[in-house]
Order: sequence, then structure tokens, then C-alpha cells
Amino acid sequence: MTLTGEPNIGAETGLYLDLFRAMVLIRGFEDLVQSLFLRGEIYGTTHLYSGQEAVAVGVASVLEDRDRVAATYRGHGHALALGVDPQALLDEMLGRATGVNGGRAGSMNINSPDDRLVGSFGIVGGSIGAATGVGLALKRVGGVAVCQFGDGAVNQGYFHECLNFCAVLRLPVVFLCENNGYGEYTPFQDVTAGAIRTRAEAMEVPAVTVDGMSVVEMRTAARRAVDHARGGNGPYFLEAVTYRYVGHSRSDPGAYRPPGELDAWKERDAIPRLRRELEEAGVDPKAVDLVHGEVEALLEELERKGLEAPFPEPRPTPEFGG
Amino acid sequence: MTPNVLRMPRLSDSMSEATIVAWLKQPGEAFKRGEPLVEVETDKATVVYEAEADGMLAEILVTAGGTAGLGEPIARLSGENGDDALTEPVTAVPQDAGETTVSRQQVATPAGVGGQTGSGSPRARATPVARRAAAERGIELHGLTGTGPGGRIRMLDVLRAESGAPAPVAETRELKGATTVVPLSTTGETIARRMAQSRTEIPSFEVVAHADLSTIVQLRADAAELAEIVPSVNDFVVKATALALRAHPAFNSSFVDGRPEQHSRVNVGIAVATEEALLVPAVLDADLKRLAAIAGETRELAARAHDRRLSPDELTASTFTVSNLGMFGVASFTAVINPPQVGILAVGALERRPVETGTGGVAFRDVATLTLTSDHRAVYGADAARFLGSLRRLLEHPLALVL
Amino acid sequence: MTTTIDFRTALREALDEELAGDERVVFFGEDVAVAGGVFAVTPGLYEKYGPERVFDTPISELALAGAAFGAAISGLRPVVEIMFGDFLTLVMDSLVNQSTKYRFLTEDRVSVPIVIRSVVGAGGRFGAIHSQMPVSWFMGVPGLKIVTPATPGDAKGLLRSAIRDDNPVLFFEHKRLYGVSGEVDDGLVPIGVARVVREGTDVTVVSAMNGVHEALRAGELLAGDGIEAEVVDLRTLRPLDIPTVLSSVAKTNRVVVVEEGPLTGGWAGEVLARVTEEGLGDLDDAWRIATAETPVPYSPPLEDAFLPTAERIASEIRARVL
Repeated sequence: MTLTGEPNIGAETGLYLDLFRAMVLIRGFEDLVQSLFLRGEIYGTTHLYSGQEAVAVGVASVLEDRDRVAATYRGHGHALALGVDPQALLDEMLGRATGVNGGRAGSMNINSPDDRLVGSFGIVGGSIGAATGVGLALKRVGGVAVCQFGDGAVNQGYFHECLNFCAVLRLPVVFLCENNGYGEYTPFQDVTAGAIRTRAEAMEVPAVTVDGMSVVEMRTAARRAVDHARGGNGPYFLEAVTYRYVGHSRSDPGAYRPPGELDAWKERDAIPRLRRELEEAGVDPKAVDLVHGEVEALLEELERKGLEAPFPEPRPTPEFGG
Repeated sequence: MTPNVLRMPRLSDSMSEATIVAWLKQPGEAFKRGEPLVEVETDKATVVYEAEADGMLAEILVTAGGTAGLGEPIARLSGENGDDALTEPVTAVPQDAGETTVSRQQVATPAGVGGQTGSGSPRARATPVARRAAAERGIELHGLTGTGPGGRIRMLDVLRAESGAPAPVAETRELKGATTVVPLSTTGETIARRMAQSRTEIPSFEVVAHADLSTIVQLRADAAELAEIVPSVNDFVVKATALALRAHPAFNSSFVDGRPEQHSRVNVGIAVATEEALLVPAVLDADLKRLAAIAGETRELAARAHDRRLSPDELTASTFTVSNLGMFGVASFTAVINPPQVGILAVGALERRPVETGTGGVAFRDVATLTLTSDHRAVYGADAARFLGSLRRLLEHPLALVL
Repeated sequence: MTTTIDFRTALREALDEELAGDERVVFFGEDVAVAGGVFAVTPGLYEKYGPERVFDTPISELALAGAAFGAAISGLRPVVEIMFGDFLTLVMDSLVNQSTKYRFLTEDRVSVPIVIRSVVGAGGRFGAIHSQMPVSWFMGVPGLKIVTPATPGDAKGLLRSAIRDDNPVLFFEHKRLYGVSGEVDDGLVPIGVARVVREGTDVTVVSAMNGVHEALRAGELLAGDGIEAEVVDLRTLRPLDIPTVLSSVAKTNRVVVVEEGPLTGGWAGEVLARVTEEGLGDLDDAWRIATAETPVPYSPPLEDAFLPTAERIASEIRARVL
């Protein structure tokens, strides 16, 4: 069943302006990360969320304080959408002591339990395993665990075992599949037998495919999913169809994409789309421009402060904490 | 260094340690300068060390059977009246018992044992506890038989040594039956080390010749009626070798510091197999001595070799070595060069062989196989061939040897 | 109060007491609830605590481990049973890449109080893949504790400590010890503390689990030859209580470590490395007794020859002490 949401922006322009700001921040943040990486200030590798902003923002907008998200290594968007401090997030990738994890984690392992971000999991499918357990615990308090994963993860052991596990035990877990068309460098159709959604349908888990380039649709779909899970009905599977504008990671120039594909997706970019929808709903374009201006200023500050932040001092770390 | 401590003297220019064979004075006994004090077995010979000044033996620190490194204390001495003024410090003993200096006049040794010992003898394999226990009890590890795995010395071995119990043979139950460890003597250890060194460092090659010694055999038979001491076949070989060395000075050399050094004297070393070790005393100026003199000398040297009564000089003077296993019926063999010499001659047993005579017939002759091993850094194939050729001619036409 | 009970009963009592004492404790695994466990360790707990606290799961070891991790970082204290230690290969990703790293990555903010109980060891004729000793697979994982009781008293006291420990604990139960009886009291046994179970002066025999019993029997055999063995039961293999071993070696000057597991890469090597580093001056002899570099064979004479029995231990000690 494919869901098309009915825009109700007019009734919640304040909220949607906030969501707009969140997406603009994510887009700009990822551009900044790319720039810093190319300058050698961000180390190792990193996976950018550019193009997929509507998914993280739409889902986060329906979560409560008692809910949790387990993200993947492509998790900056979810971190920011959940409210992780952008400075702490950037500093972590710059390897600074002021990073959200003191420089210990880096891009792929970022976690912020206080902001409901259980963690980013570098092993494909790891987020699913984590969310399963989180859901087990949250059941007691009426909370919901969301695991974000890509189209490649639906072929991993974690996915099948945990989806079944959650279904059998009726755990409140939302399985959020961000189908951006590629598992690393390979189109998902080449490595996936059958359709993605039908895997969940086979286990009699409600499964829905939604347009991941629309924050309105994502929010609507996420609301249904979360309500279902919170109501004790077991897991819910959401397939968000989206697209990443850059390669799999910074080491990947994305040359395996057919020409014109990127452009076609950019025409469906969620940010200008929401802008149009906001203006159609009567929001002053100047207010929208203001958001862009604020975010730009914020990004400049993030960069300046981040590059000035101190590196951590190596010191003996007790093995078992304390 | 305190003057009243007697330290292990340097009784051989290549020793790094030595074993006390017997104390010739007892604690409390006085001695005069020049009197024998203690008998010591070095890597070359057993030598009696004489007192260098008057004094008295106060306390023995290393007992008979014990080993001490060069310069290590072996006894306490006192003035002849029991006071503490004493024996002159032993000269020629380095302050540290570490590396020995390398002697240029290398010991003439048999295929193997050489003068250049390099650094000190290998450290005994012992466990930390055994090491500590031995140090506490003043027991020398080197004299102990280790019965731990791999022959290492363990605490039990130290305790047994202390209590005087005989060292048990290390027995293990294996497919090869009970194992008995045969410890090497100091000399044996040196030979082992030098053999390995020779084989790995010297690019050697062999040339072989068959020498017709029938004339020599006949001469010996004739000499039996004339002389009290009949020169042995080997004595003839020694003389012939000496003359050949004189004619081919490249073989009368030492290879040192990357190049040969020729010697002006021809000292032929003869390999003597004694009960404990292979020793090579030198016949000095063998090219100048008459065959009869050589004969007498080789007998005397061999006898003293068996009694370990050779002087260090006699064991270090050879410029070339002759080794003969003919008396054991060995047809031929390859000897190992004793560095820094550049060659060694191996002599096999006399065999009756049919040989074509000048008249086209066949006669049986006494033929010995000579194998010359040479250091290819100093001499080459043709050189060796010529040297061996000269040697063979001298042996087959021995008139020059007896004049 | 002390009672005399068997090893499996001791374990059940420990679980029972901890489930009763802390409602955050949950226990799950395959056939552990309704059936009471394939080794009959946990009957009655499901009936007593209900399916919210004690429940059965599908055959999904990876999901089990993920569930344990996620629950542990969300306020629960999960105890999970992995039926055979040989199956720990299937939990590796979640245990190693998630559970043992989370505390470090959160800079100590969030710990992971999971316990994985697993049945290990040979001698039961279960063959190559149900008889292994997986300790060495995990010795090199920082942040993981490995607990290995040899007696019912230690089984109970250590399992209780493990459940109360805020860090991931692998709790190994040797399958041949389940029927062993011993004195059990109310106390906790501290993790990481070894115990001298037989005093002696001639050689220190270090072991764990079933090896301790073999070592004690060897001690009896050796006494007849006038050799008095001191036996150290490590009780925990990670972290190792090396000071206790060193004190013993200072007395006996000889140490032999008996490990049921292959020689190469085994934990016995770690013990010897530490003893050598820290107690070299006290050593007169040091060696290991372990199993051959082959899988565990099935047929009784093959399996018996494979294992480090009391006879073999005594024989090797005799050869080296006399």
C-alpha cells in the first residue's frame, strides 16, 4: 500500500517552518562536513545524508521523549533532527575534546543518549539489533524504538532475525528503511531478491512504502508507524524511497550512477519542495529566507569554533569504566 | 682490584674462562715466588700456574672442578706471615672478565679448534631461580649438568651440586630410549664453536690427489735397520708439506682482516686425537729440520698432547695443518680449515692399487689419497692444484725429504 | 546459611534471587522459559516471574545478542542464555562490536550490564561443535569479563555478581559440572579474584572450571610421590587475578597452567606471559598443559585422550619435579 499524505501545513506552519530549518541545517551541515573532509580536517571517512533530509526530520518530528532512535553510519541527519547540538556533532567529527563523544567515536559511532540517539552503528544491520533491545526495554514505559537502515541491510542476518524477533514478541520497534537505491556501490535490485517491503509482509508486519523526498508524507507515515508500535501491536515497517546526492562515502565519487539520475532526483529535492508548500500555505517568503540566513551564520560559527576547539589528551582509560 | 685476591690468570691468549684442575697448596699453606700454586685447564692445555710473589693461601674461592672466567676471583691470599699485604696482582689479567682480545698468532689447532674465540663463552642455560641459588651458594653454573628440559640447569641441579651428590644423567623417556647428556669440556666447547665458525665463514674448496708412496714405504723398511726412530709415513708428509709450503708461500698464510698475511717461518701443525680433545701442536721450522728430527719431535709432541702438557705457544704456532686418519683405515676425508690458516691437508690410508708402469705393465703400488681444503678467499683452484702437485711429487720422489 | 546443592541448582538459585531482587533483571534465550533449559538449569522461573521477565525466543542468536545490548543500554539488566558456547560465533557482532564498546564510546555515560550464560566444554561426547571452550576467542576483547566457576558455591556467588556487574559478562558453565555438588552460601563471590583450593609447596597448578577438579585429583596422585601441588582456581579468566598466582609461585617456584583448549592462543599463554613478566625471578619451571590443535573428537577413547586428565597432569609434573 502506498501512502500519499494530505498536506496540512496551513494548520501547523510554525512546526513546518521548524522542520524546514532542520532540513536546511542538515543540508548545510553535510556540505560543511564535505568541505572540511576535503581539507583534511575530518579524518577517516564519513557518510553524508545530503538529499535524504526529509526522512530523518519527518520521523523525528513525531517522536516523544521516551522514544529512541538507533541510526547507521549515515546518521548525521538523524542526530541533528533529534536535537543533538550541532557544534558537539561537528567537533566530534573534527576529533576534538568538545565532541559529543570526546573524540572517541568519530562519524560512524556517534551516540547521544541524552538526545535519544542510542547510537550510530557502523556494522550494516547493527542499528536493527540495537533497536530490538531498546524496544524490549521501552515496552515497559510505552516508548518506541526506531531503527534506521538502508536498502542493503534488508539482506543482512540482523534484519531477518530481528524483524521476526520483534514480531513474535510484539516489540515496539519501527523499522525505517531508507531506500536510496544503492547498497554502497551496487543498485539494490542487483542484490535483492524480490521487493524490500514484501520481506516484512511475509512476516505479517505492516509495511508501507512512502515518498522519502516529502517531509509532509514522511511525518504522516511516521505518525502511523509509531502509533501502531506504541499501541502494543508489534513492529511496523516503513520503506522511505529517497536518494543520496553524494557517493556512498567520501571515498566514493558515485561514478556508478547513470547520467541524469542525480539531476532527476534533484528536481524532487525535499527542501525547495517544502519551501513551495510553505509559501503556498501563506508563509512569508522573507521568513523562509531568514531561515537560510540564520543557518548560514550558524554554520560559519560552527566551523570557526570547531577548528579552534582543542584535541583530547590521551590518558589511561580504565577498562571497565569508573 | 684488591691485591689479596687471586684472579683467574690469562694462561692462554684465547681463553675466556678456565677450570681449576687441582689446588697445589692448601689454605694456610705458605708459598714462595715460583712455586706451583694451582693447576688450570684452559681451552688449549692444562697449565700449572706458579706464584708470582711470596705469600700464603688464605681461602679457596673456586674449588677443583669449578670454572671461573678470566679475571674472576679464585682465591684469597695473604702475606707469608698471614697479614694482608700480598701477592702482586697477576699481570696480564684484564680488569673485566669480558671479551678476550683476539690473538694474531693463532693457535694451531686441529680441524676446528682455533685461536680466535671472539666474545666470552656462552651463558649457561639456567632458570632464574637456579641462577640466584647458585650465586647465593657460590656455585659455578658452568660446571653443572642441567637436568631440566633442553638440558637447562634448574634449582634441583644447584642443590645437588651443593650437597655434592653426583649429577644424575638426564633421562627422558623417548622413542630413542633413555637420553644421557654428555657435557662438553671447555676445550670441547671451544672446538664446537670454532668448527661452526670455520664452516660458515670460510668459502672452502677441496682438491684431491692420489700419491704413490711406495718409495717412502721402501725407505722406511730400509731405515728400520739403520735408525732407532723410524720416521712414520706422516713424518714424511710433514716434511714434504713443509717444503711445498716453502715453494708455495700463499699456503703458508693467515687470512686476517680480509686479506692473507704470509708467514716467514713454516710451522706444520700435526693433528693429534687425544682422549678429550683434538689438539694440534706445531713442528716449528719444519722445512729446516731433518726428517729424523721431525720424527723425534712428532712423537714427543704427541705424547705431551695426550698428557695435556703442551705449551700455549706450541698450540698457536702452526701456519698450516696436516691431519692423518690413515691409521684408522680411512680411505679419504675432508678436513675443516682451522682459521686463520688458509689450508689443511687430510691424508688417508695407504691402499694397494694397480698402477700402470712405465713399461706398459701393471704393478701394485702403495697409494694414499690426499685431500687439500683451501680458503678460496686467499687461494684459487690452480694454486691449490699446483701446491698439491708439488706435494705429491715430493712424496713420490722423496729424495729431497731425506737430504 | 550454607546448603549443599549441585551446580545447576546453584545457578537457578542465583537467577531466582536476582530476578526477585531487581525488577530490571530479565532472562531470555532458546527453550529457557517454558522448557526450563536444555540442561534443566532454569525450570520454574517462567512460572514464577511470567513472560515479561522470563521468555523464550526464536533461534536467532544475533537478534538475542542485539536485544540484550539494546535492553541493557535502556535500563534493563538482561541475562541471556546461548545454548552452547560453540554458538557464540553467531553473537559475535553484537557482543564485540556493540556491547563491549558502548561504555567507551559514550565516555562512561552508559554502561552495558548484560550477562551471557553459555554451556561449554568437552567430555560429554557431544562432538566437535558442541564441546568447545571459546574463552580464547574472547580474551582479546577489551571491556568484556569472562567468568568461569568450578564449584556450585562459586557458580551461585559469581552469577549473582555477574548480574549485578554493570559491564558485559560472559558466564561459562562447564557442561560436566552441572551434577557436581558443593557447599553454597548467601554471599556474592567477587569477579576477578582467584582462590587457592589446595595448598602445596612444590608446584603451582593453575586452572579453571573442570580443569580445577582434574588438578585436584592430580594433587592426590602426586601426594603419593611426595610432591605437594598447590592448586589455584582462577574463577575468572578475564580479568586474571595474577597476584594470587604470583604469590603461589613465589612459594613453589614452579607453575603449570592447565587449560582445556588448544595450546596456541589459549588463556594459559596469557597467564604465563604475566607470570614471566612480573615474577621471572621466582621461576624455576613454567609450562602449559592444553589440548591438541585439533577439533574435539567424538569417540570416547579419542575424546578422553584429547583432554588434560589428572593422570596426564600428574605425570607431567612428576617428570619435571623429580
